[in-house]
Amino acid sequence: MTSFLVRRTGQAALALFGVCTLIFFLTRLTGDPVLLMAPEGATRADIEALRTALGFDRPLIVQYWEYLNGLMRFDFGQSIVQRVPVMDIIVSRLPYTLGLAAAALVVALGLGVPMGVYMAVHRARPLARVLMGVVLAGQSLPTFWSGILLISLFAVTLGWLPSSGAREVTSVIMPAIALGLLSMATFARVARSAVLDELSKPYVRAARAKGLSTGRVVRRHVLRNGSIPVISVSALEIANLLAGAVIVETVFAWPGLGLLTVQAIQARDFPIVEAVVLLSAVVSIGLNLIADILYSVVDPRITLDGAAR
Amino acid sequence: MSHFWKPVRKGAVATVFLGAMSAQAVALETVVIDLVNEPSSLDPHVQWNPDSYAVYRNIFDNLLTRDDDGEIIPQVATAWEYLSDTEIAFTIRTDITFHDGTPLTAEDVAFSVERITDPDFGSPQLGQFNQITAAEVTGDDTVVLTTARPYPALLAQLVKLSIVPAEHVQEVGDDAFNAAPLGSGPYVFDAWQRGVQVTLTRNDDYWGDAGPFERAEFRAVPDAATRVANLQSGASNLIVTIDPDMAMQLDMAAGVSPRSALTERVGFLRLNGAREELEDLRMRQAIAHAIDKELIVEGLLAGFDRPVDQMLSPAHFGWIDGIEGLPYDPDTARALIEEIGEDAQRPMVFATAPVFDQRIVQALQQMLSEVGLNVSIELSDMSSYLSRVQSDPEDAPHMNFGRWSCACQDADGVLHPLLHSSSSWSTLNDPEFDAPLEAARETLDEDERLDAYRAVHERVIAEVPLVPLYQAAILYGVDDRLEWTPTPNESMFLNRMGWSD
Amino acid sequence: MSVRAAMRRRNWWIAPHLWPFVAILLGFAAMALLAPWLAPADPTSQNLLGRLRPPGEEVRGFTYLLGSDELGRDLLSRLIFGAQVSLSVAILSVLISGLAGTALGMIAAYFRGWTDTVIMRVVDIFLSVPPILLAIITVAVLGPGLWNVIIVLALTRWPRYARVAYGQTLAVMNMPFVRIARFSGASAGRILAVHVLPNIIGPLMVIVTLEFGLMVLFEAGLSFLGLGVQPPTPSWGAMLSTGRNYVASAWWIAAFPGLCLFLLVLAVNVIGDDLRDRYDRRGTERSKA
Repeated sequence: MTSFLVRRTGQAALALFGVCTLIFFLTRLTGDPVLLMAPEGATRADIEALRTALGFDRPLIVQYWEYLNGLMRFDFGQSIVQRVPVMDIIVSRLPYTLGLAAAALVVALGLGVPMGVYMAVHRARPLARVLMGVVLAGQSLPTFWSGILLISLFAVTLGWLPSSGAREVTSVIMPAIALGLLSMATFARVARSAVLDELSKPYVRAARAKGLSTGRVVRRHVLRNGSIPVISVSALEIANLLAGAVIVETVFAWPGLGLLTVQAIQARDFPIVEAVVLLSAVVSIGLNLIADILYSVVDPRITLDGAAR
Repeated sequence: MSHFWKPVRKGAVATVFLGAMSAQAVALETVVIDLVNEPSSLDPHVQWNPDSYAVYRNIFDNLLTRDDDGEIIPQVATAWEYLSDTEIAFTIRTDITFHDGTPLTAEDVAFSVERITDPDFGSPQLGQFNQITAAEVTGDDTVVLTTARPYPALLAQLVKLSIVPAEHVQEVGDDAFNAAPLGSGPYVFDAWQRGVQVTLTRNDDYWGDAGPFERAEFRAVPDAATRVANLQSGASNLIVTIDPDMAMQLDMAAGVSPRSALTERVGFLRLNGAREELEDLRMRQAIAHAIDKELIVEGLLAGFDRPVDQMLSPAHFGWIDGIEGLPYDPDTARALIEEIGEDAQRPMVFATAPVFDQRIVQALQQMLSEVGLNVSIELSDMSSYLSRVQSDPEDAPHMNFGRWSCACQDADGVLHPLLHSSSSWSTLNDPEFDAPLEAARETLDEDERLDAYRAVHERVIAEVPLVPLYQAAILYGVDDRLEWTPTPNESMFLNRMGWSD
Repeated sequence: MSVRAAMRRRNWWIAPHLWPFVAILLGFAAMALLAPWLAPADPTSQNLLGRLRPPGEEVRGFTYLLGSDELGRDLLSRLIFGAQVSLSVAILSVLISGLAGTALGMIAAYFRGWTDTVIMRVVDIFLSVPPILLAIITVAVLGPGLWNVIIVLALTRWPRYARVAYGQTLAVMNMPFVRIARFSGASAGRILAVHVLPNIIGPLMVIVTLEFGLMVLFEAGLSFLGLGVQPPTPSWGAMLSTGRNYVASAWWIAAFPGLCLFLLVLAVNVIGDDLRDRYDRRGTERSKA
């Protein structure tokens, strides 16, 4: 067991190192920020001078070594374009990303779960099928389109909500809806099958036989027991919400990490790109590691099988 | 349909929403401007991009400036005098103070020049100022700048030189100065909410007119459709970078309108004669004949822009009236292509980037296809586009669309980089271009310079290394209550704006 | 045997409530295949004097049934040809990522040990790189184009299939018939292809349908970010992303491709949902047995 833990953690660390290395060299394949920073008409000499000043003329391996050295000291470097420590930028953007993901999760859960429960409890009613259609429809719209439609309606025509940015608390509503609609279907589906599972269990039949109303059974027992799969899916869905925010953030000028990443890549601001990717890698590889460890605790067969080979 | 989309101006439903209500309350004290991206930095010496420029030029004073008609006028320097062809003395205003109260002196001016020209400092703007070899304080209020050679574009470049406080910068260091820039301009840096907005407040001790706004907010809104919605919903007063179709849409909406100015930016199609497909002069001529500039300007650009036949705008020094380029004549184009035969059918690549108006690129491609050429568009992100366009001529794309501005209103900043053999932007190696370009660069005599540029314009028409298309208009969406005239150099000075009531 | 055949027939029977969605898919497929004969005009032919015309308007003897776009091109023709691009990008990227991911996931689960470690850690690495980064790198290195959009999509999506194939294969590997096959000396390729694949194809097909819808949306998203198929090639995503700038002045430019895109993804999602229900049910039946 311990050796499995050690080995699996070592592998995760190796994968993280792989991500850092891969990103470092892949981004360098796309050139450097010098041409973007130089004014129109800068001569070759000007461009070379800027390249030297920014250190991009040095051999790649030297730059890589320096990058790794920085990482060892938890120094993520300075943004090339903004000349501000990368850490400061990420720290200032992270709350927006988390806030949007949380709000989108609320939208997805708040709409998806009740619909899923309804669809399970009233499986035979036509409305259930209509609701499923609605849920799936929410998943079928490109966010850059639904986003601008939301803005046109709620900000321009009705004037109810701020059209973009992050100045007021209400600013998060529209981006959260645009993003949350995508995950709504997942929750509706999970809630529906969880409730269906519960409804087929003996205790429900027993409760009904005792004369309790369906609504009461559902409220009392089914919802509580059915919530476990919903919670476990939420954990996975949060990762999707964090990753899927790029376009929503662009449309709504929401200052999260997604927008930052796109702009940093387009500006070839490598230290920011590297730090964001490292952050997302730590989260996703870390979650995986935890999941694997938990599985091995729950179901020892899997790991023992693997270790035997 | 139209009444459905008619925007409800702020305040109509605002009573319900606190946010909107406060927006109305502060409306006339605060002006809100939507840029595309946030400034990359507000240290005026470490970047060169329009979004930063729009903001920091309100925080700093420049050595010289341009009035709304584009004439160079005093700002920090009240007067200047050529001591020789390579030396020029500036008299500095004595009543300017930085935002921390210290006076702006000749030392600060000299320091600013030395800072931006120091190769180790690594300013992207180095190339605009590295003709200056020395900045010397020669009196209480006099600075003498020395250039390596006679440099006719010097004054035009100095319009872009922001004066930073020498002592303060040395004391706090470049990084701290970057985080909290301190200048002498009409607006004081207040706060920078990363990714959201930069807030400036009025400098009530400004030596000149500071303008009517107590606060100004510059926001980053990357999506053009969202910027338009912001303006229409009353969330912002001024938005940048919209296309003519969006301008027409704003024209129909209530309370807002598009405003435009013809700028010193020139749209062009570069033809890479170093690629064998375009080596034949007749090919390049055919392309020039195939392009209907009038149709592009009238049909696509809604007449905001203006077709040009030389690679300049009338806003530039070096513009020569009466030069006529190859006319739109598809029949001649087809005849030339037929004459060339099969070689004319070889596939060619037309490089472009998302920042350019894709409608124009597609329209150009269509015009070339109509006369029988085989051109395919390759759209890549800006950085890849730049490196492809500036790679070795043999590898560079056959043609690319560009919109050029040197922000100096001088032919030297346009024609030299685009046509001189030493430039990475040029695919040419032609002494007939190099000689006049060099001559015009090294004399201060205006007639001599004009003659040289005439030769360049004529050579462009004869050799067709590029096809000048149009003088670009810059389009803004503006709240009708805001009084402001856009300028050819695309500047946004808050102290030249006001409310109409 | 006959019972199983009957069950299979019942499982593959298309339920009546799915008919309209299957019809939508078939309709779009027909549109894509017959585009040159269906389209009333050349989808790239412009008319700068007939820009932004509403549906039904006639310009120089040609009627724009669904209106004209920002360059005066016939929207209907672009929509019809756009089906080709949008469908082929989605089909090919699903095919490539599905095949590669499934193969790698099965291999990792079959051989375990180092093969497993390497493949599954590479999966982790790919899952943690933002797709947009891969897109820009691909365009910067390989240049833009239709095939590179497909490559980008395949590169970002194969890990999903690998994960599912891996988990499913692990489960199947413990089953008696696979163990028997291994002990009787069958080759790895044979075991995976003959014994494992048929038993894991169900859950994979569910992923395929869901991914198909996602790929259509991703292609649109890439177009929105300027990394999609090259203009003037019509794709629904590209048309929609230009059209959104005209929401107030020329609604038809975004509305029709948006509707097509929506219907396509919806149809695929509904069918995928049904498929998933079926496999879930079968899964529960099997576990009870």
